[in-house]
Amino acid sequence: MKIICLIKFIPDVEDFKYDYERNVLIRENMKQILNPEDACAVAFALTVKRFYPSTVIEVLTMGPQSVSSKMEEILRLDVDHATLITDKAFIGSDTYATSRVLATYLKSSSVDLILSGTHTLDGDTSHVPAQIAEWLELPHVSNIISINMNSMDSGRLVLSVDHDQTIMTFAVPYPSVLSLSKDSAFKMPYVRYDDLNKEVSHRLKVIDCAQLGLRKEEVGFDGSKTQVVSTFVKTMTKKDKTEVKIDEAGLQSVIDLLKEKGVLA
Amino acid sequence: MNHDTLLLELSKILQKNQINTNSDELYDASADRYKKYAKARKVLNVPAPVAIVYPKSTREVSTLLKFCNDNDINVIARGGKTATEGGLENWKETTLVIDALYLDKIIKVDYYNMQATVQAGVALQTLEDVVRPMGFTTGHSPQSKPVAKFGGLVATRSIGQFSTLYGGIEDMVVGLECVFPDGHISLIKNVSRRAGGPDIRHIAIGNEGTLCYITEVTVKLFKHFPQNNQFFGYLIKDVDTGISILREVMVNGYRPSVARTYSEGDAGQHFYHFHKGHCVLIFMAEGNQDIVDATAKGILRAVDKFSEGIIEKVDSQLIEDWFNHLNWSQKDIDDEFEGMLEKDYHAGFTTEVSADWETIVQIYKNVMRRITNEFPRASDLTLLGGHSSHSYINGTNMYFVYNYKINCNPEDELRIYHHPLQTIVVEETLKLGGSMCHHHGIGKYRNEWTKEEHGSAYYMLEKLKEAFDPKGIMNFGTIFPQEDGKKYQK
Repeated sequence: MKIICLIKFIPDVEDFKYDYERNVLIRENMKQILNPEDACAVAFALTVKRFYPSTVIEVLTMGPQSVSSKMEEILRLDVDHATLITDKAFIGSDTYATSRVLATYLKSSSVDLILSGTHTLDGDTSHVPAQIAEWLELPHVSNIISINMNSMDSGRLVLSVDHDQTIMTFAVPYPSVLSLSKDSAFKMPYVRYDDLNKEVSHRLKVIDCAQLGLRKEEVGFDGSKTQVVSTFVKTMTKKDKTEVKIDEAGLQSVIDLLKEKGVLA
Repeated sequence: MNHDTLLLELSKILQKNQINTNSDELYDASADRYKKYAKARKVLNVPAPVAIVYPKSTREVSTLLKFCNDNDINVIARGGKTATEGGLENWKETTLVIDALYLDKIIKVDYYNMQATVQAGVALQTLEDVVRPMGFTTGHSPQSKPVAKFGGLVATRSIGQFSTLYGGIEDMVVGLECVFPDGHISLIKNVSRRAGGPDIRHIAIGNEGTLCYITEVTVKLFKHFPQNNQFFGYLIKDVDTGISILREVMVNGYRPSVARTYSEGDAGQHFYHFHKGHCVLIFMAEGNQDIVDATAKGILRAVDKFSEGIIEKVDSQLIEDWFNHLNWSQKDIDDEFEGMLEKDYHAGFTTEVSADWETIVQIYKNVMRRITNEFPRASDLTLLGGHSSHSYINGTNMYFVYNYKINCNPEDELRIYHHPLQTIVVEETLKLGGSMCHHHGIGKYRNEWTKEEHGSAYYMLEKLKEAFDPKGIMNFGTIFPQEDGKKYQK
């Protein structure tokens, strides 16, 4: 079985710094992390490989050259190949252009499962996996919270989806595009100590727009259907912090606050 | 000797209820708090001991040690199990843990001569509970007081939170009894002072179970005046200011029982409710009223001398409240263990060093700089700081603290986080002539620097080992570096 995981590296939004005086996001030294739901997708692929050792896993991303080191970190797990699609021509690509680029690469690949996260923390449109499925004319299921490993051999993969708090069960054929939810139980393993500095660069393939056979007007700003009129940084105000002791008075303060916010009745 | 034969032979020396082969307890006995996270996650990479045995007398300890010595069986001496540096970790396939559980008698409390004699397995708290109602204290109060036992406290050269007044355990022990691997029992008598050759108490104090097994200890008692305690707290500009004030108090001859300076990061951990992002300086004046009054005056005079570094005074009640809740209990240890099962997070790793007044701040700054700039996982640190908590006429200690998110497999945590951090602390300390271990002992994870720590005096340490434990059966890997142990360290 061949699995390709679509992944994206995003700024660590839980660890950002904000300059309240200048009202700007401090981007210097901002840590890049693997989008958490994409990590679930890779984790599921690795689980499949544990059950079926002949499984071949490839991770695929579109992004700047600077994510190479992050791709190598994933290769130090039990992932076989990594592909980075990068080109200055891709700058400004919306979800439509991005999905076209990724789908163009995927069309040239023989694959049984295409996995992704459902959302990314930075964009959160959920467009890309669905649009890739459209480009490839494959079924697509998103918000997957569990997958029945016993169904792997049956020709149809049985999985559960959280749809507005209703759990729905689907059986999907191969190949399909499957997007996992953060509520799935799949957790990325860590790189083993002995593999931390393992040489893996030979398993990272870097390709550009020309190698994909795409014209410049099909990608980037020109190839995008989204017109951005303007952008702004959300104004944030510094909240006062109150620290309380772990005693009766402190607990009462927390209860009062939760009641005030409507969390407790 | 194979394990079955060993157990058979043990049954000839001890009763059945003195030999423990329960697999969970043997797993627990495989390592101490240095590997607490890996231990909680059940991924320890060291062998379990064959048995834990509980001698009921010094004579039984002697018989056991002789038996182990004759049969090349590694021995780990164990008391309250609060070791933090790998001293209780097992690196040998055939190991016996000799636990002081049944050496639990308070032999004599002598209020006139101000000393108390206890067996090794008596918990410090137990003796304190006996002498406190009579108006006395041992003066020893490590955070582990509710759990730690006298044998371990003495064997590791422990120190308590009131050390600036009462001293470390080495200042408190007046005499002791210990057993050597050949079975010889030595009793060092209790005298107020003597000049009868080298002070042989110090062969046992701090030996970390590598030379002998301590079976009995006599410690000093002090009159206790808790009603006179006075607390002082200040928010201060920086660590330099705090150290300068500690020095001013000490060099002028004052002995507050508590004298501490916390960095901003560490203050945030302990004094979250009042530190306001600053360093914190605290004192406690203790003793009879005249001494407390004089000590308080000395503290205020020192604070006044460095007033440009004082940001504001802290309500002394806040300091007293904090101090009254500082000690660990067994429940705290158990809760910490449960927490490590649930979270990929580590709180409470420390490395404690010491140096003279002139050097300690430079060590602190060098360590902070190197960790921030060189430690590859610096972004996972949730706390990095330190405090000085034990001061002397010529210097003080620095207790580096670091908490972190664990983004690696549990079995790799030490190699990726704790050991690299500890390495930086130790290297920077030794580079400037300080001591790499102020009060936790060397254990097994600082043994790679034992020779550097002692320099030309390592000769003396090595000769002690050769003389008292020529077959090397006592706590293999602790204090003394071992080639065979490196696989567990690196």
